[in-house]
Amino acid sequence: MMDDQWALTTHLLRRAGFGATPQELDEYLELGYDATVEKLLHPSQDLPVDEDVVRRYHIDQNSLMLIESSQAYWLYRMINTTSPLQEKIALFWHGLFATAYGKLNHAKGVVNQTNIFRRSGLGYFRTLLLEVARDPAMIFWLDNKDNHKDAPNENFGRELLELFSMGIGNYTEEDVKSCARAFTGWTIANADYMSIRASRDSIWPHGRLDWQFLYDPEDHDETDKTFLGHTGRFNGEDVIDIICAQPACAWFVASKLYNFFVSDTPDEGAIQTLADEFQRSNGNIESVMRTMFLSGFFQSEKVRFARVKSPAEMVAGTARLAGSHRSTDWSIVGLAMDANFMGQEILNPPSVEGWHTGIEWIDTGSLVERINSAAQEVGNPGHPGIKEIIRRIREGQDVLSPQEFVDRCLDLAGGVKVGEATGQHLTGYAAAQGDLRFDRDELVACSEERIANMLQLIVATREYQLA
Amino acid sequence: MTTTTSFNYSHTIGFLANQGRGFNNPVDVALDSQGVLYVLNRAGPEVAIRLPYKRVVTCTVDEEYLGEFGTGGTGDGEFWWPSSVAFDSEDRLYVADEALQRVSIFSKSGELLGQWGEHGSRDGQIDRPSAMVIDSEDNLYLSDSLNNRVQKFTKDGQFLGKWGEEGAGPGQFNMPWGIALDSDGDVYVSDWRNDRVQKFDPSGRYLDQWGSSGDAEGQFNRPSGIAVDPDGNIYVCDWGNERVQVLSTSGQVLDSFRGDSVTSTWTTAYFEANPDEGAARLAADLEPQVSPRSDIQRETSANVEKLLWGPTSVKLDDQGRVYIVDSLRHRLQIYQRGS
Repeated sequence: MMDDQWALTTHLLRRAGFGATPQELDEYLELGYDATVEKLLHPSQDLPVDEDVVRRYHIDQNSLMLIESSQAYWLYRMINTTSPLQEKIALFWHGLFATAYGKLNHAKGVVNQTNIFRRSGLGYFRTLLLEVARDPAMIFWLDNKDNHKDAPNENFGRELLELFSMGIGNYTEEDVKSCARAFTGWTIANADYMSIRASRDSIWPHGRLDWQFLYDPEDHDETDKTFLGHTGRFNGEDVIDIICAQPACAWFVASKLYNFFVSDTPDEGAIQTLADEFQRSNGNIESVMRTMFLSGFFQSEKVRFARVKSPAEMVAGTARLAGSHRSTDWSIVGLAMDANFMGQEILNPPSVEGWHTGIEWIDTGSLVERINSAAQEVGNPGHPGIKEIIRRIREGQDVLSPQEFVDRCLDLAGGVKVGEATGQHLTGYAAAQGDLRFDRDELVACSEERIANMLQLIVATREYQLA
Repeated sequence: MTTTTSFNYSHTIGFLANQGRGFNNPVDVALDSQGVLYVLNRAGPEVAIRLPYKRVVTCTVDEEYLGEFGTGGTGDGEFWWPSSVAFDSEDRLYVADEALQRVSIFSKSGELLGQWGEHGSRDGQIDRPSAMVIDSEDNLYLSDSLNNRVQKFTKDGQFLGKWGEEGAGPGQFNMPWGIALDSDGDVYVSDWRNDRVQKFDPSGRYLDQWGSSGDAEGQFNRPSGIAVDPDGNIYVCDWGNERVQVLSTSGQVLDSFRGDSVTSTWTTAYFEANPDEGAARLAADLEPQVSPRSDIQRETSANVEKLLWGPTSVKLDDQGRVYIVDSLRHRLQIYQRGS
C-alpha cells in the first residue's frame, strides 16, 4: 500500500478533479500537497483539449446545437483537462445555477453559461453572480426577459435569493419584490423572435442563433426600493452587492461548497470556517477553496470516500483512469448517454434546484448503469490507461501473490480503499487463478487479461462509487 | 500583379432538415456532368435516432429539390463520418468516410456500386480520409488526415502512390484536409494544422506553399476545403477564420468572403408557413454588434446568421460559380465570379 501523502493526494484529486491517473499522481506527489492545491487553484490558460480537432471531426460539437453533442463536448473537457478544478468548479456552479436545455432548446446557450463558471468560478462571488444575472441563458431560464417595469416577473429575483445566494428564511416577500424590480430591464436582444424560436425544438431554418444580454433602461424600474434593510434606487448590481455582504450569503455558499467538495453530511464548524473565509476575503472563492483543501476537516480520514460520486464524476473519472476518449472518437456520445442513464443529464438538470445528490444518485437501475459503463471502460487492456496500469504492475515484480495483485490494482485505480468484505471477495477471485505471473512469455496475455478483469471487478464495488 | 477578378454574392441553397428537402451539417458538394448538386450531410451526433440525418441530398443550383439517398450506419453503403464527395468521368459518385475508413461508390440514383478501403497506416491503408479529388484519368487523390499524407489510388482502390509525413516542413503535413487539382494536374492540399496550403506536382514533388497562422489577409486559421479555377486562382475555406479567401498564383489575396446569406427559397417558404415567426424575424436585428471574449470569428458567426460558420468545402463550376459549404448553417452560399 502507498503512504499517507499518496492517499491524501488521491483524495484531493477525487474531490478537486475527476481522479488522477498514475502518471498525474507521480507529478502531483513530486510537487507536494500544498503546491498541488495552488496548481489546482490556478488553471492553465492553455485549452484543455484540442478544440479544433474536436470541432473538425465532431461537426455537431462545433455548433453545439444539440444536447447530446454538448454533453459529449463537456465530457471531453472533464476527461482531458489539465486544470481539473476548473471543470469541477464549473460542474459545481452548474448544479447550483441549474439551467436546463429542456426549456431553452439552445444547448450552446447553456454551454456558454458554463464558460462563465470556468472563467469566474474561482473568482469573487459578486462577479460570478453578476455574470450569471447577465447571462442570456439564465435570463431565458428564469423569465427575466419578461420582468418589466410595469409588470415585474419575480422568478429570477426569487431564485437569486432562495437558491443562488442565501436560502429561504433570510429575506422577506417584500425583499423578493424589490429584488425583482431591481432586475427589470435586464433582458436579451430580439427577445420576441428568440422566444418564438426557443418554443420550437425541431424547426430552426439555419440552426440556433446565440443570444446577447441587453440592458433596456426604458424598461428598468428607477424608483426607490427597500431591500434587506437598505433603501435606494437600486439596480441589479446594487442588489448583488447587498446580497454578497450578508452573513447568510457566506454561510449559504460555504455550505454548498462543503456539501459538494467535502461531505454529504454537514459539519457546522467546518462550514463556519469556510463562511468566515468567504467574509474575510470579500467572497473570494479561490480563498475559500484554499482554506478548504488545507483544512483538517477536508484532509480527515472521516470524509474520505464519504461522498457518492455523481454520474458525471463517475464516467469522466473512469475514462481518465482507462485513458479512453483521449482523442476524437464518436463513442464519446455513448459515454454522455451513460451519465444520462445514471441520472445526471449534464446541461439539462431536472429543475432549477439542480440534482439531488448523495445517496440519491444510487438506485438499483442507476447502479447497474454505473457498473456496466465503468466495466466497459476499464475492461479493455488496449486502452492507454489500462496499458499503463499493466506496465506498472509488471515493472514492480514478475510474480504477484493474489493479495499483492489486488492491492496493486486498487492503488493504481486511484487509491480505492475497500472494506474487509470487499477485499476478501477480490482476493478470493484472484486466488482462484493463483499468482499473477509475468515470468513466462506464454502467461503474459492471460495476466494482462486478469488485470483488466480485476479492474472491472473493482469499478463494480460499492467503494468505487464513492469519492 | 493586378487582376480584374471580382465576385458577387449570388444566392443561398439550404434549410435545416433532418430528412427530405434540406441539409443537416453538410460538409461537401459535388456536381455531376449535368450540374446537379450532390450535397453530403454528415449530421451528428452518432445516436440511433439521428443516424437517418446522414445522407446525400440532390438539388439544382436553382434550388429545385430532387431527392436524397443513403443513411447513417456501418453497413454497406451507409455513412458514419462522411467527409467528401466527388464524381468520376462516368458520373459515378465517390463518398469518403472518416469513421468507416472507406470510399463508397454510387450511381447517380444512389445505387451502391462498390466500396474499398482499409484502416491502417501501411501503403494503401487509410486513417480518416478527409477529402478527395479525381483527376482526368479517373485516379483518386485522397487526403489521409491522421496518416499525414496524400495517397493516390485507382478508382477501384488500387494503391498508386503516396507522399507526406508528419511535420511542418515543405512536403510534410499536420492533419491535412482539403485537396484540389488545377488544370495542369498539380495538387493543392490544405495543410490544416500547419495553417498553410501546399502545392505539389502530380507525382507529389513539392512546388510551393502559401499562408501562415493568423487572421490577417493571406493568413489562415485551420484551412479546410480548397479549389482551383482554370486561371490558377486558389479558393481556400479558412475554417477557423470563418471565411473563404481567394488567392492568385502569386499569393495575392483577390477576395475574401465572410458570408452574405439571405434566406433561401426553402427558408422563405418556411417563414411564409409560420407567419408569427416570420413577423418577429422581420422586427429583429439579425446583425447585432457582438463582442466575444474569445474565439472571436467563431462566436460572431454563432450570433450573426448571414455569416459563414464552419465552412468545410468550396467547389467551382464552369459558369464561374463558387459553392461554399456553410456547414453549421446547413446551406450553400453561392458567389458568382465576374470578369
